[in-house]
Amino acid sequence: MKKYTFVITEKPDAAYRIALALDMREKPKKMEEKGVPYYVAERDREIVVVSALGHLYTVAEEKNGRSQYPVFDFKWVPRYIAERGASQVRTWIEAIAKLAKNADVFIDACDYDIEGSIIGYSVLRYACDGKDQMSKRMKYSTLTREELEKSYAEPLPHLDFALIEAGLARHEVDWLFGINLSRALTAAAKDWSGKYTTLSTGRVQGPTLKFVAVREKAIRSFVPTPYWEITAEVKINGKVFEAQYEKEKIETKHEADTILNACENKDGKIERIEVKQFQQPPPPPFDLGTLQSEAYNLFGYTPSRTSKVAQRLYLDALISYPRTSSQKLPPAINYETILKDLSKASQYRSLTARLLAYPELKPREGNREDPAHPAIYPTGDLPARVLEDSERRIWDLVIRRFMAVFSEPALKQSMKTHININGHRFLLNGRRILKEGWMHFYEPYVRSEEMILPPTEEGQTVTVKKMILINKFTKPPPRYNPSTILRKMEETKIGTKATRAETIQTLYDRKYVQGEKLTATDLGLEVLEVMERYCPTVVSIKFTRELEEKMNRIQTNNQKKEKVLAEALETLKPVIEKLKENQKVIGEQLSEAIRKSRTDERTIGACPVCKTGQLTVLYSRKTGKRFVGCTNFFKGLCKTSFPLPQRGVIKPLAKNCRGCGWPTVQVLARGRRPWTICFNPRCPLKEGREKRD
Amino acid sequence: MDYMFQSTVPTERRKGEKGLKCKACSREARENGYCELHMKAYENAIEKYKVWQKAMQISWKEYLSEIVKNPLTGEWAREVAESMIKSGEKQDGTSN
Repeated sequence: MKKYTFVITEKPDAAYRIALALDMREKPKKMEEKGVPYYVAERDREIVVVSALGHLYTVAEEKNGRSQYPVFDFKWVPRYIAERGASQVRTWIEAIAKLAKNADVFIDACDYDIEGSIIGYSVLRYACDGKDQMSKRMKYSTLTREELEKSYAEPLPHLDFALIEAGLARHEVDWLFGINLSRALTAAAKDWSGKYTTLSTGRVQGPTLKFVAVREKAIRSFVPTPYWEITAEVKINGKVFEAQYEKEKIETKHEADTILNACENKDGKIERIEVKQFQQPPPPPFDLGTLQSEAYNLFGYTPSRTSKVAQRLYLDALISYPRTSSQKLPPAINYETILKDLSKASQYRSLTARLLAYPELKPREGNREDPAHPAIYPTGDLPARVLEDSERRIWDLVIRRFMAVFSEPALKQSMKTHININGHRFLLNGRRILKEGWMHFYEPYVRSEEMILPPTEEGQTVTVKKMILINKFTKPPPRYNPSTILRKMEETKIGTKATRAETIQTLYDRKYVQGEKLTATDLGLEVLEVMERYCPTVVSIKFTRELEEKMNRIQTNNQKKEKVLAEALETLKPVIEKLKENQKVIGEQLSEAIRKSRTDERTIGACPVCKTGQLTVLYSRKTGKRFVGCTNFFKGLCKTSFPLPQRGVIKPLAKNCRGCGWPTVQVLARGRRPWTICFNPRCPLKEGREKRD
Repeated sequence: MDYMFQSTVPTERRKGEKGLKCKACSREARENGYCELHMKAYENAIEKYKVWQKAMQISWKEYLSEIVKNPLTGEWAREVAESMIKSGEKQDGTSN
């Protein structure tokens, strides 16, 4: 049988893109092996392109024992052995193994980063019978035809083993911490309460929870303090403006009253006008973190959603590889060609024409670097299908940011007018844009408010229309949102760009946090308290960051994987021992938090009939059916009860009915739009609806 | 109406030994009669009284009722203030 070149990719979409680019006629043959799709491309020789399904292999314990801990012996196994519901992986591996048998050249074309390298390496090593040593590596940042052809023609001679070692170390260390700590917590709670609840923590999850919990404690313990602000409404050239007292916070009521009394019914005089001009340079190109932050601020997309959308745009060859931490755009990507290609889209035509008229295209770059990929940029290709709203928005955002980085700085002017009212100084602040520069290219996404002041001159008298005294209070620190917590993780260098969004999602899944503004639940606070009391090292930012640095040094051949693993185990072993010693106390503490969390989940709100009990979701002992009842029933005080739909998830809403003020729940059922129930049979909103019907 | 009341902690275990309870919740108390979580709120409430007193010349009792009704007050700080109002605790920790 004729031998061929075997190319492995990370995902099926990438396999199709690569086959399409490498086939001379741009018509690769789609084939199937055991239902697993693969492509045959004809070039200088036959090329078989087959994809993995993300990770096909994972770390698992040497001997099976579901809830045993500690476990320190592990091995890499096919995912179907370690995970439930991964049976498809078995067929996939068998198909890959069969296709690899008749190949004589092997190329790893998975994404060029830690995860991609491990995916390719494990497939070549385990499914392709040790072909990792002879395999070449395609390195590319976009799935465009030109770049794929080039990376196929000039592959790296072998796999990047340093990157692979770093990735394996990361997976193995994370597995050791995750499995042992999570099992310790879960076993402690189960042992005490007799009920199973999955509790988890890990090397990155613990410190991330700590960020949220520390903030939560500060908010819940917060005591506001009073201060006062004074505003003078002044009339200038017929228009009314609000001038702020020069001291932003007046700390005592007495001082505020004194100022107010002194200024009332007095005219003001303009003492000084300060005008400053300053340049605002364009923002740097997007790395994944800044793209996720911007998409959250502009569209409200969570980091994991942005990451998924960006990945789809990458697979459609519309943008470059999104999992990058680089803010650099090397000239090799060919700025001019990209802009020329983008000009084919009418909405970018005039903007690209302006940039192409520049004598030189030089991007403004940020400080962050990534050895594997440049910053995120548009490839210049236009969509071959109708993009979904989220895809269109992210694509447009990337394009406009790309154009903005080549543009000139914006020129802005700030104006501060000092008004003296009977010896007290008030400030009137104005802002205006003199030259848009890059803002023109980034226009829909620019957040800049202008406040244009009328022309005035020093010595001019202004009429004070009104003096306003406002009593304010200091505010607690803001809660993290998915974007700010991601930024915090980046700043403190914990986790990787590929896993941070996933870690945040796990905190939600475990019910350690809730809400769009991350609110630590009692369970989250309890888990963290256990960790801080019995294993403070694990949740220490310093420890996590140092371990990250060691793993990064493996990538640059400055550290051995075995040494990092040994050191990690040295830290982990005494921690696990301590958790085991205190299992009973920990179990009690966690069980109480789990019980409270479950009760909170079922509590709908105060009973509107007896006013002292709580409406709760309960289950009938006779029929097993669920309904809503008042907790005061057990004291013989209230018999309030209401039926509930028996299908779907009941989610108590924190807000009361706008018609009658009774507590409400939302019902989430598969295949139906979520709906809200108000239990009040005499709710005016229902009456209105009945009349309409 | 019949119920299947779901309790995750067996009764005999719930009856088990417990130390002194926190003045504001059911957790175990540490110093000053508050648990670890309410302790910081208690310290804040004591510390911030000086600021309120300077700003508004108000008494300890007035201060406590002000922070109880202020929507910016944290949940634990409010619970501590309510417990102090109930017990008549003064800012130096003594009671009426």
